[in-house]
Amino acid sequence: MIDRQEVIRMAKLARLELSDREIEQYQKDLTSFLSSGKKLQQVDVSAVEGTSHAVSLTHELRKDEVGASLSQADTLSAAPEAVDGFFKVPRIVEEQE
Amino acid sequence: MRKLAQLLETRQISSTEVVEHYLSEITKQEPILNAFITVDAEGALAQARASDLRRQQGMALSPWDGIPIAVKDNISTKGLKTTCASRFLANYVPLFDATVVSTLKNSGLPIVGKTNLDEFAMGSSTEYSAYGVTRNPHDYERVSGGSSGGSAAAVAAGEIPWSLGTDTGGSIRQPASFCGVVGLKPTYGWVSRYGVVALAPSLDQVGPLAKTVEDAAILFSLLAAPDAMDATSADARAFPVPDWDESFIKGLKIGVPEEFFGDGIKPEVERAVTDSLEFLAGQGAELVPISLATNEYAIDTYLTLVTAEASSSLARYDGVRYGVRVPAEDSNTMFAKSRSAGFGSEVKRRIMLGTYVLSARHYGAYYEQAQKVRTLIRQDVLAAFQQVDVIITPTTPSAAFRIGAKQSPLEMYLSDLFTAMANLSGIPALSVPCGKDARGLPLGLQIMGSHFQEELLFKVAYLVEKYVGVEGGTFSDKL
Repeated sequence: MIDRQEVIRMAKLARLELSDREIEQYQKDLTSFLSSGKKLQQVDVSAVEGTSHAVSLTHELRKDEVGASLSQADTLSAAPEAVDGFFKVPRIVEEQE
Repeated sequence: MRKLAQLLETRQISSTEVVEHYLSEITKQEPILNAFITVDAEGALAQARASDLRRQQGMALSPWDGIPIAVKDNISTKGLKTTCASRFLANYVPLFDATVVSTLKNSGLPIVGKTNLDEFAMGSSTEYSAYGVTRNPHDYERVSGGSSGGSAAAVAAGEIPWSLGTDTGGSIRQPASFCGVVGLKPTYGWVSRYGVVALAPSLDQVGPLAKTVEDAAILFSLLAAPDAMDATSADARAFPVPDWDESFIKGLKIGVPEEFFGDGIKPEVERAVTDSLEFLAGQGAELVPISLATNEYAIDTYLTLVTAEASSSLARYDGVRYGVRVPAEDSNTMFAKSRSAGFGSEVKRRIMLGTYVLSARHYGAYYEQAQKVRTLIRQDVLAAFQQVDVIITPTTPSAAFRIGAKQSPLEMYLSDLFTAMANLSGIPALSVPCGKDARGLPLGLQIMGSHFQEELLFKVAYLVEKYVGVEGGTFSDKL
């Protein structure tokens, strides 16, 4: 069984706040998922490289040209909180003494 | 759809009448079915009137101008709510259209609404939608499949002639199979993903759902195009709708993988698929027994990769620029509280699993290992296509299950047992109805091909459809 602390650590990394009941649930789910995934680890992959995309492609880059873009007002229109043309968020950096 | 298009062209019917017909079906059936999250009657009628005007002036944008469509609610539509069936995006209105939506608009197709799905396309039944389950039109006690359950059910019920879905591990094909319609997961990269809300970017593809094989092919012919806005867009040719010449079937090699038959598959499913295979053999195809041994690893590989990519894709939902925000004193707490309030349990579960397999301590053993096994699966699939032209399997091990029947997440994940392989290897795969079980529930047959072999898949499916018939006919048949 994955221990409780490990689940709490993952939740913190994922920026999720879990209830006690959820922590218990995900302890179980992670454990059963990982034990089902065990057989993957027995596969011999020494001869191959990983595949990150199903079709080998070279990433196409567009020309770096200025095109139409969203206006500041549009961009901010869905913001939960905006002020003076900026997205407003709670304090991130602590004030220095 | 050809007949409907012709009636529109000769102006024996107007787009407004067509859209009104479908809107009245929606009004009638939605209280039970729940295939739509948003219905935009006003917008669709305005688009229909514009189409009628174009027809009058001989300025139709395409032969399909005026034929309405529905779009899965994880595909961005400018000015029309796109919720991804999540509370987090309950009020989110995109500022731009996905490329596939622009394509529909540029072809003159009125968009009638946005269809239901499992939250962020994570699921196989639409039971994980924040807006309730979509019922199966063939049996209201059963699921429509997922995640594109709304798109499949709406087509099957005659609420819309065709629709767009997305498929990451089977999310077009499995609901198509459960609802008795045709659905295609295209070759990775042939259809633009720009504006499609990401679940797992290395696996996601947009594709068509329709009542008939030809209609699905017509819709795919509109969608398949390179797009400068999508860095993974394939440098591919256009896709013309196939001629339906049947001589190709003589000598066509159809691979029948032993791993997809036998144990764990409902006998009725196996019988229906085998029956169609025998029909195809009777038409001159050669059935070749093959092995796709790596399918044993497909689900676990898929789950590892999809959860990893999802945990990363969903990091953007932080309550800053749009969506839910729960106020807090500091930013980290605000992010965590907003995400926890906005996401449902399956989404949180996948984020947790994905975070685990990507965390420094476990990255090598899980994520990296899965990427390598993916290579083996891809090699296995491509080797099979050295021997055969197409591969035919059941789409799912069983017909549509009862609402609430799958109790554990792992049980639900097994819905993708036969479909995940195509996403992992990037090949196209199509589900076409191949019969019904004793309860009258539709069964689906999956045809897989090598990269960019969609034409062949459609042509084989066309023969299966000719053999089995189209359930209930189409709207234009009745005109």
